[in-house]
Order: sequence, then structure tokens, then C-alpha cells
Amino acid sequence: MTERMPSFVRRLDRAVVIAFACIVLLLILGSLYSSSFLSPEYLLQQLKVASFLGVIATGMMLVILLGQIDLSVPWAVSTGAMMACAAAAYGDVGAAFAIPFGILCGVAIGVVNGLGVAYLRIPSMIMTLATNAVAQGAMVVYTGGFSPQDSATGAMRFLATGSIIPGIPNVVIIWALVGAGMVFVLTRTSFGRCVYGIGNRERAAYLSGINTRRIVMIAFAVAGGLSALGGILLAGYASKAAQSMGDAYLLPAIAAVVLGGTSIIGGRGSYLGTIAGVILITLLQSILSVMQMPEAGRQIIYGLVIIVMLLLYGRTAAER
Amino acid sequence: MQQSDDLFRMEGISKRYGGVRALEQASLTLKAGRIHALLGENGAGKSTLIKIMSGVVSPDQGTMLMDGQPVTFPSPAAANDAGVVCVFQELSLIPELSVADNIMVSRPPTRFGMIDRRAQRQIAEEALARTGASDIHPLALVKDLPLSRRQMVEIAKALARKPRILILDEATSALTAGDVRKVFEVLKRLRNERLALLYISHRMNEIAELADDCTVFRNGSNVASYPAGTKSDEDVIEMMIGREYHSAYPSKPEPVPDKKPVLDVQNLSWGDRLHDISFSLKAGEIVGLGGLDGQGQRDLLLALFGVLRDVKGTVLVDGEPVRIESPTQARDHGIGMALIPEDRKTEGLMLPMTVRENLSFAALDQLAKSGVIDGKKEQTLIDRMMKLLSIKAGNLDVPVGTLSGGNQQKVVIAKWLMRSPRIVLLNDPTRGIDVGTKQEIYQLLRRLADEGAAILFYSTDYAELIGCCDKVLVLYDGAVKRQLVGSEITEHALLASALNLPEAERVQELAS
Repeated sequence: MTERMPSFVRRLDRAVVIAFACIVLLLILGSLYSSSFLSPEYLLQQLKVASFLGVIATGMMLVILLGQIDLSVPWAVSTGAMMACAAAAYGDVGAAFAIPFGILCGVAIGVVNGLGVAYLRIPSMIMTLATNAVAQGAMVVYTGGFSPQDSATGAMRFLATGSIIPGIPNVVIIWALVGAGMVFVLTRTSFGRCVYGIGNRERAAYLSGINTRRIVMIAFAVAGGLSALGGILLAGYASKAAQSMGDAYLLPAIAAVVLGGTSIIGGRGSYLGTIAGVILITLLQSILSVMQMPEAGRQIIYGLVIIVMLLLYGRTAAER
Repeated sequence: MQQSDDLFRMEGISKRYGGVRALEQASLTLKAGRIHALLGENGAGKSTLIKIMSGVVSPDQGTMLMDGQPVTFPSPAAANDAGVVCVFQELSLIPELSVADNIMVSRPPTRFGMIDRRAQRQIAEEALARTGASDIHPLALVKDLPLSRRQMVEIAKALARKPRILILDEATSALTAGDVRKVFEVLKRLRNERLALLYISHRMNEIAELADDCTVFRNGSNVASYPAGTKSDEDVIEMMIGREYHSAYPSKPEPVPDKKPVLDVQNLSWGDRLHDISFSLKAGEIVGLGGLDGQGQRDLLLALFGVLRDVKGTVLVDGEPVRIESPTQARDHGIGMALIPEDRKTEGLMLPMTVRENLSFAALDQLAKSGVIDGKKEQTLIDRMMKLLSIKAGNLDVPVGTLSGGNQQKVVIAKWLMRSPRIVLLNDPTRGIDVGTKQEIYQLLRRLADEGAAILFYSTDYAELIGCCDKVLVLYDGAVKRQLVGSEITEHALLASALNLPEAERVQELAS
């Protein structure tokens, strides 16, 4: 049976196939509820919403492939957004450097994470959680405890809401570029090979002469930078930065990566799966809210669906 | 009368691990009130035998009789219940718990369902006193004790289980001379208390002092049993060797004198595991590391490769002193070192990754231009390696874990040959692989040496060292005890110096 399938289908990870099948299933279920779920406008809108999560999940995937986790996403997102907006307050020069500055702040958070995990050997779960708290504290001190009034620059708004190619939102293009970059890094560069190698067996990678600590460090820095970029785009979308804007992205980012078939203990996973996971999570959230389910019910169903899907994957992994 | 003394009998015991035969029709009889010594070289089957006796593994075939009744031990706990208790070579204590907790770890005395600390402490004190280690406080944490005291706790722990049969596997290897004397007194007392003791040691003088009976193992079977003192050390070594050579080794070239060494190691020490090791390695030379298993050979290879911290001594490459602090530095152009690690499944390969990814993993820096892998260059080199080592894999994109053990080992070697290293360190590369692949590896090593590589080769198989090496360093207790060159490399010489016979032993005792 599997023999007769075309080779590109056979090469696909089962988890990726399941994730895409679930996307189709969700759309069919949605269309039973309302035919507008299949309209191009709705789908494009969902793709746009998914792009913010997609950028953040890209960084998360890199870290999870190493067998680590990044729990500093919420405040890396907020810090990126708030620092970019803050830079905009310093005249034209500030506005011009707003986006790179925001990303740089995210990279700095990632570097701290990487130092702790790679060099001080602190478990990433603790280290990144601590960094998250520190970043939160720093931002609260900076804003004096209020939501910042700084608004996003024109460039940020253009990236988040404009469309350079008619009909395609810029943010989708950004996700596509980030994603293409990650695919290239993971499949074609020695850095990518090292990431998979370390995720599979760090000791073997180290004994192969790989500078494992530097790789881990870089991966966390990239993840921090991508979180901050996600935050900057979100700030552009909402026209301003807010303190808790990153909170809603931690669980979805992890869930998207894992639902896409990336092993939570590292070493295995493809970016195609992460794309599927991101779209799946976004659709799920959207459909639950369109159905006007009360917030509490939405959270319960959302959490349950993630658990059930992970159970399904656990089953397939055991069969190998 | 003679018959009733037989406390424990094993007959026709066989055990295989995968394709490797560990025991074949082995038998052993233990009598109450006697100390029985088990002798044999690395891999003769001693460890497997005591693992079967203590319920750690179950035999494929054979019977065990206790007091004439057939018994089976599905778990170590079942063996303990029957009165078979083992003191293992590797310490089995939990460092964060107290001595008393450790001694009673499997069956603490309870009161109302809670551990009765007072009773536990009392039992622990008694057990320690029986061991002759009453200087150890029962409430001290194990992690605060030095290694020799821990070993005493280990013995006390075994005695607290009230054994009828006590197995000691290299139990004295970590002890000081004073402790060894105490332990011997305890063992002799236990003998008088009609216990049966099975004693495994590589120290021939200990066996001479202690044992009543001896059994020699070779290739998974018992070859001889005799009352202690009836055979000379020479005879015992003959019995331990006496095996057939069936592997073909490539012929050795004439030694090339006056060549400058590629690698020169001077006074290398590491903690209390390696002591003052000096040797040199020339291009075109295969130098073997011999000795019994676990005498520091692995640590030496890891130290050279920059894995261990705080290594003292000087390492010269091409006459220049170098500091190698990581495998990254060790494999660098100036040094060009490669290490084929001990365990291919956890140290050599990433099993779920493809053959291709594994092969190029150690050479990524040479295959990539500014970080991007040159696919064409990678393919060319991989093709060459697949041919050079005749690796049998369906295609390059299957997980390396699906290959046979021998082919996996070839991949580990090939991934380092991708870098064309000048110094190759090998850590027991032929363990657990088939004879055919072994021979291919011997041929390959010689060819690499002929092409100018310097090779340091640790093997637990003496026949390999004899067949392959131009020079063998025999390690004992972390130091080079003897250097054998050319025709001096015989099984007899290897084993005698591995057992540190006879003068060196006495010197060591005086020193400690």
C-alpha cells in the first residue's frame, strides 16, 4: 500500500500528514457551521493571523530541535515590541532603527538564555523562565508600571498591515521569508546538521568535535530575535505595544511545533510540520471564537484538542 | 558428607547477547564454608555468570540448584531472598542518602508503616561492625565518604541481607591495603560461619591468600577447577589463555627507526585515575593499549582527545607542545586527531539520523563553504568512504540505526576518515561485531598506518593486540606498567603484565 504512494508522500512524516488532515477536517467542520469558512477572504485572513505565530514558532522550533525549550517567549515578544516603539520616540533616526533595535533586544534575551543553558548548564526550562521574569521586571521598571503610550512606527505598521504585492499581506511574506530561511538553515547548512545532531545525541555531537555550546547559544539567540520580530509585527498590527501582548503566544508556539511532528525531546522534525501546526492552531482558535463559545469553554476545548493530538502522535512514535 | 556440602550448583549454563556468546555450557559448584575464586581474562564470562547467579540476567539454558533443589531467579530481589547477595564492582550506593539508609535501602525496618530510624541505625551499626568498619558513622552521607570507605559500606550492605552465598566482584579494587586486610578477616570469619563465598579478583596474591578452590573461565566456559595452591601462577595463566587463533591479521612491516614521533605524551596524569603516563607515537605505527578492562585505558584516550578537565602533563604534536581542551581543538588541522569512541550507539552515532548525515558530521567544517554544505563535495567524499570501507547500506538516506552492528562501526570509523586524520585513537572498536568486519578493520588500520597515520588502539581482546600492534603499552591502575615491542608481544607477556605479576604487586602494596 505504501509502496504505491508517490515518493514525496512516502517521505513525509506521519505527524505532518495528520496535521494537514486535521486542518482539512477543521475547515470541513467549519464550513458545515458557516459557508464563509471556505471563502478566500477568510482563509487569507487566517493566514495573516497565523503569520505572527509562525514567526515566533520558527524560533521555538529551533530550540525544541535541540532538545531544549524557550519559555521566555512572552516577554521576548513584549520586549521586542516595546523597545521598538520606544526607539521610535527618539526622532527620525530612532524610528529608522526601531525594528533592528527591537530585534536586537530579543537577541540579547536569547543570548542570556543561551549562556545559561549552554555554558552554565542550567536546565532550559528554569533558565528561560527566569529570563522571562527578568525581562518582565525590566519592562515594568522602564514603563513605570503602565502600558507604554509609544505607538508603532510607520514602517512597523506597513510590515504588519500593508501589502507590497496586491492581495498578499506583508506579514505573510515575512513569515514566508523567515520560514524559507529556516528551511535553508536546517537542510543545507552545517549549523542545521549540528542542531539535529545535538538534539539526537549531544555526547556524540560533542565527541565529533562540534562546538555544541556555541550552537546552542546561537539557537537561543535566533529564537529570542524571532520572538522579538513577532512582537514588533504585533505592535505594528495593533499600532502600539502593550505589556502582556506576548502572553498569548507561549503555549500556541510550543503546541504548533509539537503538533507539527517535531519531537519534544529534540532531534527530529521538519519545518513543513511547523507550518501545518501553526495553521492548525490558528484555525482552531478562530473557529472556536467564531462559534461564539464562551472564553472558558474555548480554553478547555483548545487545551483538550492539543492533549488528544499529542496522544495520537505518541502512539505513532511508539510504533516505530 | 561431601555431597551435603554442595550449597549451590550451576550446570550447563549458556547465555547469548545478540550474536555474541557470553557463556557456553558453564558450570560451577559452591560449597558451604569455602571461598571459591573465579579466574579468567576480559570477556571470559565471569561477569555474566555472576549476573545470572544474582538474578540480574536470566540464562538461555541450564539449571541452578540450591540445596539440591532447582531454583530460578527472575530478579535480583528473588536472588537476595534465596540468600545470594552480590557486591558489585561498580558501586551501587546512593550518594545523597546516609550510610544507614543505603545499607537498608531495599528493606528498611518499619514501625506503623514508617521507617524505624532507630532500628535501622542499629542494624546498620551491626553490619558495619561485622564488616570491620565501625569507624564509619551510620548517619554520615555516602557522598562525604572516600571511595575506599564506600566500598566497605557496600560490603556491609551485602552482609545486612544475611546472605548464604556472598559474591564479591572485584570488591577490593578500590580499597587501601589496611582495608583489604580487614575485609579478608571478615571473609575468613564468614567462611567459618559456613557461608559460601565466590571471590573474583585480578590480584593473584589475594587469591593465593584467600581461596580454597579455584575455577578458571575461558571463552564462556569453565576450563578447570582445582584446590587452591595446587597450580603455579604460570599454569594458571596458561589455562586462562589457551585459545585458538582464527582471525587473520595483516603482516607487520619492519619497524622504521629514528622517526620523529607525531604524538609525544609526557607525564600525563588525571586525578587519581591516570598516573604519570609517558609514551610516543610515530607515523606509520600502531600502538596498542593493553591491560585488564578498566585500568585507565579509556580515560587516557579521552584525556588525549581533550574531553577531560584538569589533565596534567605535556602533550607534544610534531615536537610542539599543544594544549587540547576540546574535541574541536583535537580534530583541528594542526593536530588532526580522531577518536573512535567506545560506545557507537551513544557516542559515535546519532542512530535516528541518516547514514549521510552521520558520515559527514565530523567533517562539516571542511565540507561547508561559509556554513553552507557543499553537496557535491560531500557526495564525493562519502562515495569514497563507502567504497573504502565497503559499507553495506541500502541507500545513504536510511537511518544509520537500521544498519548491522559491523556496518555501524564502519560508519563511525569512516566519519573520522573523512577528515584524513593523522592521529587515530580507537577505543575497543571491534567489540560486539562479527569476525568478518573485524578482519576488515584490522586491514584498514594497517593500511592507514602505511599511509602515514599514527594509531593508538585500545582493545580488550589480547589476540587483536598481538595481531595488529607494533608496540603495546600495558596499563595497570592508571599507569603504564610495561611496554612490549615487536616479538615481545605475546599473550603470556600481556596477561602477566596485565595481572601485574609478580614483583610489581609487592612494590605497590608497600607503597599503599
